[in-house]
Amino acid sequence: MKILIVEDETGLRDSIEAYFTGSDSICETAKDFTSALAKVSVYRYDCVVLDLTLPHGNGLDIVKHLKGNGHNDGVLIISAKNSLSDRLTGLDLGADDYLTKPFHLSELKSRVTAIVRRRTFNGNNNLKFNEIDIDLDAKAVKVKDVVVKFTRKEYSLLLYFIANKGKVVSKSAIAEHLWGDSIDIADNFDFIYSHIKNIRKKMVEAGGNDYIQAAYGMGYKFAGV
Amino acid sequence: MKLLTKYNRVNIAVTVVIMLVTGIIYYYTISHILTGQIDKDLELEENEVFSYVTKNHRLPDVYESNHQQIVFMPLGNKQVERRFLDTTYHDSDEKDLEAGRALISSVKVSGQNYRILVTQSKVETEDLIQIIFLITIGVIVSLLVILIILNRVILKSIWKPFYKVLFQLKEFSLVNNGVISNTPSTIDEFTELDQAVISMADRVKNDYQNLKAFTENASHELMTPISVINSKLDTLVQTDEFTDKQSNLLNDIYGTVTRLTRLNKSMLLLAKIENGLIQDNQLVDVKDVVKECIYQHEEMVQQLGITLKTTLGDKQLQANKSLIEILVNNLLSNAIRHNHQDGELSVYLDSEKLIISNTGEGSFDFGQVLKRFHKSDGSEGIGLGLTLCKQICDSHGFKLNYEHNDKKHAFSVRF
Repeated sequence: MKILIVEDETGLRDSIEAYFTGSDSICETAKDFTSALAKVSVYRYDCVVLDLTLPHGNGLDIVKHLKGNGHNDGVLIISAKNSLSDRLTGLDLGADDYLTKPFHLSELKSRVTAIVRRRTFNGNNNLKFNEIDIDLDAKAVKVKDVVVKFTRKEYSLLLYFIANKGKVVSKSAIAEHLWGDSIDIADNFDFIYSHIKNIRKKMVEAGGNDYIQAAYGMGYKFAGV
Repeated sequence: MKLLTKYNRVNIAVTVVIMLVTGIIYYYTISHILTGQIDKDLELEENEVFSYVTKNHRLPDVYESNHQQIVFMPLGNKQVERRFLDTTYHDSDEKDLEAGRALISSVKVSGQNYRILVTQSKVETEDLIQIIFLITIGVIVSLLVILIILNRVILKSIWKPFYKVLFQLKEFSLVNNGVISNTPSTIDEFTELDQAVISMADRVKNDYQNLKAFTENASHELMTPISVINSKLDTLVQTDEFTDKQSNLLNDIYGTVTRLTRLNKSMLLLAKIENGLIQDNQLVDVKDVVKECIYQHEEMVQQLGITLKTTLGDKQLQANKSLIEILVNNLLSNAIRHNHQDGELSVYLDSEKLIISNTGEGSFDFGQVLKRFHKSDGSEGIGLGLTLCKQICDSHGFKLNYEHNDKKHAFSVRF
């Protein structure tokens, strides 16, 4: 997939670019409003990761420009402002999702992947990964054509891992993804292990591979083969 | 005591005293003048007797004129001193005694000494004094009444700007972004007061806004470096293999950054609620929010072996959904975190209230725990949870209460 990262903070822009580049993505960056506008006017992207507070302009105007010209690029807004009005304005203008800073790169990747998937596989909302077949609408998982029942959290975790395959996902990121940021995350580290244990068990029982590897006690890695 | 009352009291007391003293002086002066007048009459009468005696060498006939009597009395060889005196006047027509003034004198008629006693009724004088006295009293009373009414009317209208300023000061609230409007007055002191109050309010508001804006901006600005640290950490863990020591260090950093983020988000949220910046109200189904919260906490409940009892009625309200989620989340996670192994937790919801009660050791001072950064011993939280709950309740007009009995803590929110 082809991604445009519009972010004025160099450190963050570089990290996102490094995280996205590689696997199956092409990444371009813009560091201010003008260059971002120039890029979206000429090129098409699967998803634009867009910061709202930019030098020389407001990110929302880029969303307006995209939608006003009938471009169907996916837009994910990342902003330090956690205000509902910004969020609603952004979504009203046609952005697909809104992520508040600070966030984990794995969360960003999972959101971007979801947006791209929704835009690419119109109508047929199935995700296939080796022997795993996921019907995203029905939230049903099949492993080697065997239906495997996952709990809500296990299902969400599995999708999260697949979106971040090949990457080490930290426990903090997993906890925040599963329980949200209003719950004290340190309390939940023990439960991550039990959820992962359950996923592994169910997958293996259905005849699938065990893709989830522990990563040095810091997190887990979904080994993409 | 009101200024008007105090002023009136002093004013009236002084007026009454001055009037009384004036009245007394007045009375004695008039009394003295009138007595002098009578004395002159009496002397005139005496002189008439003297001239009669000199002319006719005999005492005049005793006659009685209006309010005047003359009595002669032989004295023999005795002498009598000439003097005026106050006495009573016996009116022959009327039986009663009247106040009178008398002159005792003596006259020699054919070698015989006679005492002359001229008495005159003072009734008219007394009447005069009485009338004067009544008029004086009347003047005093009417003056007082006029003073009181005048004071009341004039002072009230004069003090009007003052009370207006005072009312505005009482109603002034920084949180509600109160405004103090101009109160025009023709009185310099009140104009000065008004200006001083307005400039003070502006200054205070400015300072308060700056402080609030600083808190909000500081929290906001911190988000960017925190997100850079976060993203760099995420990038770092992808780079290589780590030793146990390194991964422990990384875990600690992750934990700290997460804590920092939560702390910062809470502070930002608090500042926003206090600034009244969160108003995006929508219809919130509290039952759904509570159910979702319980679902989010299910692992902890199971791990602690807590018996969960829920009685959930329907409740919908107009509020900011994420705030209601934070409120329920904080109360619920407190109830779980401060619970003990195999404890109990009950969640009750109806249209009026939400009660979350749990078993747990000890008790605490509700006022204390609402303070910012207050943490119970051994708590791993950031100490803003209940402060946030309280702010959320206040901003939505809910009442947050705490009760403790029988080793059970109960937090209730009345909608």
